[in-house]
Amino acid sequence: MSHFESTTTTEASRTSSLQSGRQSYLRPEDAFYAPPPLRKRSIAPNTAAPVAQTNGSFPDARKWREKRRGSSDSRRRRNGKEGSGPKVPWKKLLWVKQSYPDNYTDEETFLDHLQRNPRLRPYEFWPLVADSTIIVQHVCSVVIFVCCFTAIFQERVSPQTVVGWATLGTVAGWVLRDYWQTREESEVAAKLAAKEAGDSPVSAATDGDKTSARSSSDMADFGMPFKEQHIPLASIPPSALQSPPHSRIPSVNSMDTPLSANSETNLPSFPAIPTTSPNPDLPPCNGEPSALSARTRERLITAKSAILIYCSLLGLSPILKSLTQSTSIDSIWALSSWLMILNVFTFDYGAGPESKFPASLSTNAAVMASTVLASRLPSTTHVFSLSLFSIEVFGLFPMFRRHLRHNSWAGHLWLTTLLVLLASGGLNMTISGGGYVSGIVGAVFGSIICCLGMGLTSWWLIGLQRYKNEIHGPWDPARPVLRGVWD
Amino acid sequence: MPYNIAMVSDFFFPQPGGVESHIYQLSSKLIDRGHRVVIITHAYGSPYPNRTGIRYLTNRLKVYHIPHWVVYRSTTFPTVFSSFPILRQIFIREQIQIVHGHASLSNLCHEGLLHARTMGLHTVFTDHSLFGFSDAGSIMANKLLKFSLSDVGHVVCVSHTCKENTTLRASLNPLAVSVIPNAVVPSSFQPLQPHEAKASHLPGDKSGLLPPPPDPSQPIGPGDPLTCIVISRLFYNKGTDLLISALPIMLRRHENLRFIIAGSGPKAIDLEQMLDSLPQQLLYTASGQSRVVLLGSIRHEEVRDVMVRGHLLLSTSLTEAFGTVLVEAASCGLMVVATRVGGVPEVLPNNMTVFVFPEVEDVVRGVTEAIRQLTSKTVHRGKFHDFVKNMYSWSDIARRTERVYDLITGAPSASDNEGYYDEEWVNYGQPAQPHSFALMDRLKRYFGCGIWAGKLFVIVVVVDYLIYCFLELMYPRDKIDICKAWPAMPTQDFAGAEEHEANGGVDVYDGVEIKHRRRLVDYSGVIET
Repeated sequence: MSHFESTTTTEASRTSSLQSGRQSYLRPEDAFYAPPPLRKRSIAPNTAAPVAQTNGSFPDARKWREKRRGSSDSRRRRNGKEGSGPKVPWKKLLWVKQSYPDNYTDEETFLDHLQRNPRLRPYEFWPLVADSTIIVQHVCSVVIFVCCFTAIFQERVSPQTVVGWATLGTVAGWVLRDYWQTREESEVAAKLAAKEAGDSPVSAATDGDKTSARSSSDMADFGMPFKEQHIPLASIPPSALQSPPHSRIPSVNSMDTPLSANSETNLPSFPAIPTTSPNPDLPPCNGEPSALSARTRERLITAKSAILIYCSLLGLSPILKSLTQSTSIDSIWALSSWLMILNVFTFDYGAGPESKFPASLSTNAAVMASTVLASRLPSTTHVFSLSLFSIEVFGLFPMFRRHLRHNSWAGHLWLTTLLVLLASGGLNMTISGGGYVSGIVGAVFGSIICCLGMGLTSWWLIGLQRYKNEIHGPWDPARPVLRGVWD
Repeated sequence: MPYNIAMVSDFFFPQPGGVESHIYQLSSKLIDRGHRVVIITHAYGSPYPNRTGIRYLTNRLKVYHIPHWVVYRSTTFPTVFSSFPILRQIFIREQIQIVHGHASLSNLCHEGLLHARTMGLHTVFTDHSLFGFSDAGSIMANKLLKFSLSDVGHVVCVSHTCKENTTLRASLNPLAVSVIPNAVVPSSFQPLQPHEAKASHLPGDKSGLLPPPPDPSQPIGPGDPLTCIVISRLFYNKGTDLLISALPIMLRRHENLRFIIAGSGPKAIDLEQMLDSLPQQLLYTASGQSRVVLLGSIRHEEVRDVMVRGHLLLSTSLTEAFGTVLVEAASCGLMVVATRVGGVPEVLPNNMTVFVFPEVEDVVRGVTEAIRQLTSKTVHRGKFHDFVKNMYSWSDIARRTERVYDLITGAPSASDNEGYYDEEWVNYGQPAQPHSFALMDRLKRYFGCGIWAGKLFVIVVVVDYLIYCFLELMYPRDKIDICKAWPAMPTQDFAGAEEHEANGGVDVYDGVEIKHRRRLVDYSGVIET
């Protein structure tokens, strides 16, 4: 062990460590020299002498131990004389041999990395009430569905009326959604154009060749009778290949790349190409010429699937009518009640407009509930109407609600009010069996109860916040950050 | 004073692992200090070699493999009471005074602690792992740990982070929790010796796939090839995703860097897919050698032979209580790059380690920094082994564990265990009144564990006590044979023991298990297997 360059005194080791510029480190020597050299907190000058005895190279373990014992004896004497606590601060390290017992608990550093509720975002009352409207909407639509079924079942309303109004509403909702989507896309395109125009004010005024080259390739996408130019693939930088599909504005993509340089020099110029921006709505369609815009095609696809569902429901209705004939009626009520409850509890209330099919369990439960309910109805028309109505209420209406909330908050509030009024009125009419008067009374009472309920539950949830106790600390598995700047 | 100690854990050899070797090394060194130690674990069958009945290991270490039903990852089925009769027999037979349980996921350990308290024995528990507080599994495990530890005499943790964690999980008094780290056997993790460097290949070499081991005494030039070792099971919580994302960047950045990755696991497929997707010129050196070598899982004995082939070790683990592999690597003379998680920052000094955050870019930065330090000769790898040897040794761990035993039994400490601390620390953390074994006091402790859980725990303890009374009637204490002690060995003094360790005599488990277990004095048939 002679090759340990050991310093003889604490002072020396301290100075050496200072010289090496690593005074914040604890060096390996600290592991076996009795007192770790002090760096942060100063020691009294008279302690240097007894400490100095303990340092130095040690030929074997026994001698080292004897020296240690000697050192602690001397320290003990010194402590007895001075009556002071230990001067060497405790360190939260395992590799240093410290003169503290193993169960020593440092009051300053123990649990100092503990975090309680680090990501706690305290709820506020009005945002919470506003968010609870989503739940109210869904519960109301379930209630309306059940009321409609009861009305149909008791033959107070004809199923055609119900499904007629619902279909009208669905078509209106779809038109509205289509309008929003178109508006949003054009907004995005406009924003992009504005941004890129701002980025490159010079390029807008450059020669027509670049624009013509770029727009000609755009035109080729839409089936215009221009030849695709031959661009050597190797010369295209990756940035040009990965251009986002939305930026269809001419002369924006590969502004200063070799591509534009190439096209400038090598390619024949195309005369008289309209340099106006093509319709930003048009996505690429793999070079196939198509007479219809993407928007129109999407609409056609939607119409096609609607007709498909309509026809298959028509075909299935006679089968559904006799599905549960051998089952007793109270099992049907019980089954459908549980399925509706399942629907309400598993519904994805947090989904935004971008999610395509949220909470499939919830939707399936609702559709199954309506199927078993429909099977108790007397005629095929009844069955068909109720099934169609359930698809509209549980499949399409939540989607519309999400879009509505995204696009128009006022519309969302109005829809909530309307649904609450309809549901409570319908509920009272169903329960009391009365006419419009009882409906109005029910609507008044229902809306009052609903407002109270929303307020009280929000208030309760805020009150429950104080029981939240989430503990985090260095023992938690770290979350790796995988996507860095290189991605 | 010498104690009779029983180490109880589900995890012991022939299963390999960190807890297993900890128990073995600690027991062996405690025997060296004059204690009698037995290990109690469950019987092992396939896929491991058969282990039933009593076996003797090196250094007079006796292992009881008691029959038990193994359910999951060699943890026995939690039946709470079923092993009480056999544990009581063993405790009485071996005149056990202290029961020392290991690992918080070991059911046998918790049963042993509970029954030991019922029998009025002192108990110590060692926690080897970290747990969170959020997921359902952790909440369950923490409740059980609270039950088990609410009446335990003292708890040992392997790092300060682990101590904080365990204190919170089981609501313990922090003064009743000691921090005693793991250690390494320095002789098993030596850097490359000069005579090995001359030999063309190491024993257990996997042909010419691997790069030749560098000579640690030679300085590294700026253009010299460097090898980075990764030894980790390829699991999510070992940070394999981080490794997968950082590997291509590191290969691109450092032309001379090569990787040896040892270990297997569910993430191995992801790793191989990533390697397949990389361009060939990145994966092969100019001379056609592969820059990334996947070794698959290796045995613990082979770890050192792999480690000495590298210059630095990369650990991307996301949670780590102690990080034994880091100490082993440093002992082999490797620069360590490790994520700053759990107890890792406490384990090694800054000039042997580059700590990084668990982020891809920071891992790359850490490796770059380590390479810079290696090539600029600001670190001296040749000295790492001796540093580590002085930081961690099992004899020291055994001495500190013995102090814990002294603390809970209230006995005076051995002569060579005195004087490590100042006088004011002598009774530090000792309970004001001795831990009471009276049933009423025990019930009070358990009752405080929770509104419902407290009552349930009290019922369990009462039933356990009734079973104990029943066993005392059915199998009276005086009818149980007392096991004879080993014939007195020439007392090894402490320095001699340490020398012995340095020479590397006794510490390999696999080769040296004593085969003649049946003709030894001690197989008189308490355990029918």
